[in-house]
Amino acid sequence: MDRRKGYTHWIYLVPFLIFIIMTVLIPLIYTFYVSFTNMSVYHWTNYKFIGLKNYYKALLTVDSGFLSALFRTLLWTALNIILLVFFAFVIALGLNSPELRFKNIYKTLLIFPWAMPAYVTILLWRMGMFNTEFGFLNQLIRKAGWQPINFLSTDVYAFLSCMIINLWLGIPYMFTMIDAAMQSIDRGIYENAYMEGAGFWRVHVFITAPMIAPILTPILIMTAFTNFKQFDIVYLMTMQTGSKTGANIHTLITYVYDKAFVTSNYGYSAAVTGIISLIIIILYMGMQKIARSKVN
Amino acid sequence: MKKVNKKTFMLLMAVLCTVMLFGCSGTTDNSKEKTSTPDSSSEEIKEKQEKQVQTITIWHSADATIADTLQKQVDSLNPDVNVKFERKENMAESLKLVGNDPESAPDMYLWAHDKVGVFAEMGILSPITDFIGEEETKALIPMTLEAGKYDGQNYQLPIYYEALLFMYNKALVKEVPKTTDELLQRMKSETKDGHYVFVEQHSTSYCSAPWIQGFQGYIINESKTPGLDLPETIQALEYHKEFVPYMPADGEYNTVTTLFTEGKSEFAIGGPWLVPGLKEAKVDLGIASMPVLPNGNPLKPFSGVQGIHVLKHVGENKKGAVASVLKVLVKPEVGIALAEAANCAPANVRAYDNVAISENEMIMALREMAENVVPMPNVPEMDVMWGITDELLASINKNNGNVAEECRRCQKMALEQIEAMH
Repeated sequence: MDRRKGYTHWIYLVPFLIFIIMTVLIPLIYTFYVSFTNMSVYHWTNYKFIGLKNYYKALLTVDSGFLSALFRTLLWTALNIILLVFFAFVIALGLNSPELRFKNIYKTLLIFPWAMPAYVTILLWRMGMFNTEFGFLNQLIRKAGWQPINFLSTDVYAFLSCMIINLWLGIPYMFTMIDAAMQSIDRGIYENAYMEGAGFWRVHVFITAPMIAPILTPILIMTAFTNFKQFDIVYLMTMQTGSKTGANIHTLITYVYDKAFVTSNYGYSAAVTGIISLIIIILYMGMQKIARSKVN
Repeated sequence: MKKVNKKTFMLLMAVLCTVMLFGCSGTTDNSKEKTSTPDSSSEEIKEKQEKQVQTITIWHSADATIADTLQKQVDSLNPDVNVKFERKENMAESLKLVGNDPESAPDMYLWAHDKVGVFAEMGILSPITDFIGEEETKALIPMTLEAGKYDGQNYQLPIYYEALLFMYNKALVKEVPKTTDELLQRMKSETKDGHYVFVEQHSTSYCSAPWIQGFQGYIINESKTPGLDLPETIQALEYHKEFVPYMPADGEYNTVTTLFTEGKSEFAIGGPWLVPGLKEAKVDLGIASMPVLPNGNPLKPFSGVQGIHVLKHVGENKKGAVASVLKVLVKPEVGIALAEAANCAPANVRAYDNVAISENEMIMALREMAENVVPMPNVPEMDVMWGITDELLASINKNNGNVAEECRRCQKMALEQIEAMH
């Protein structure tokens, strides 16, 4: 009986393991293999093993552009996490107010940006809000008698514009998680705190925040990596082929895409992917360590 | 209850495993199964195999009207050759993945000529000269034939071509400027309060190429050398930059198209693909010859030649069928049908003898331009040049970068990326 128990769970896992092996492990191993070959448009069928040459070439992309992209990515990740948590926390607090009516309607409306495909949202913002001729913001600026601003052509404006979209897309998920975490807090604790004279902010800073922190930690780590791997917003807003805006706000992923993937040199691209993955894994391990020590 | 649940779960898992494993196996062609039935006589098998050989699949990503028109033309080969036009999304990626696999790849595909170099280097294309002789292609516009040539071989049978056009709104324009200098003067004096004289996608490679090529510069040449820092290219971009302040700052496709469609711009440089939308918006559209630059050359846009390519795996078995399809598609009647159905400019010069085509302003403008347009480079290195040239143009036109410095910076970047391709 015990022996059966020992392997039964593996039987249950078999289909999913097959799925993971086929969709994750095999492509990963194949990418690793390709990174040691000279597979490219010029060596599509006649590619051969070239050792570490691609890794050497990939490390040459670690130039000043790479380092500024890395710094920008870290800044992007930090700013977005702070703002996401702040806005989501405030919204969740508002939605948890006992006097608030029609909470479900507000929640449904607030979740809407998350339900929209990101691609559509990004292009709608690009054309509908930031466009120099027809964008809502420039219409307001014109009405005020000022010159229109090309939001996406200068680095600072473009970075902020992308961040606004990222917050628009990310807040619904974050506030849903914070809202759910808040539901698990015993109301009695608040009543006691208020009875002992604690104010609104004091209660939420010293009771709500610490109590939801353990639940939010894995979500924050995941969100940090989603932001660290940022590609679609920055690419679609400023770097799409045929619609480059002139702003240089490369993140790590857009930078290596621009440097490696357009070359159709698959061995080289695979090596670059390997190096980026290594950076992400190191950062992930570091963040986990920090998060674990904070929770403890 | 618990036991039943467990058994049911195990059964479901087993079914799921089986489905997944079977799902991974290759697809089975029913027609092949039939040929291998033991009851069939060898003659029947041979006959069926021969019939199977006569089926030609052509992938495309063209407009449905174009595909339907071509389908009707090749239907004349029935029942000997059964041709099927199949729409394929992400065709370039699909061809890279399965181009060498006879089980999954099509026999031919319809696409622009600019990927010929990539696919030829990957070894998935056959020269069309293996199937069709010079006699049949001599009526094709030389530019369209040249477009499909790579490394001395011709890989494309041209069907129709496209290029940017100098369009104007007849309701707003009394006189069309003949030169770019005249155009610039009008832009300087008449562009104000949301009214533009001229709009174009000023910071994209495709739309800036007419200026560069008009000044005898180039983005990349046949020998795969980028030309971003050539004196001619620098001169072209410096001159072009003078026009930019009088156009919408972002120069995006949507902005430019909307301004011209809504009558907020008198002139635009845009592709034939804009025409249906402009007609729908009831724009009184006129098409003029490209204005002439100060050096006496007109603007020289890129041409994109759409044509049929034959996959290498097709081999000897289907040679006859492929040749018969190409011989149908090279006929002037195909060009005429496409021109009537979808406003396409035929590659076959004989099609222009048709009265309806000779009265079509847009098609005749393209015919006139055929001598001046430059086929998009089809070398694989062009893939990296699009992005780099876009970056160059954005830094010059949108961030007021120094033209010569930016050209040198981007030339260096282009050389590095081209080196990285190998």
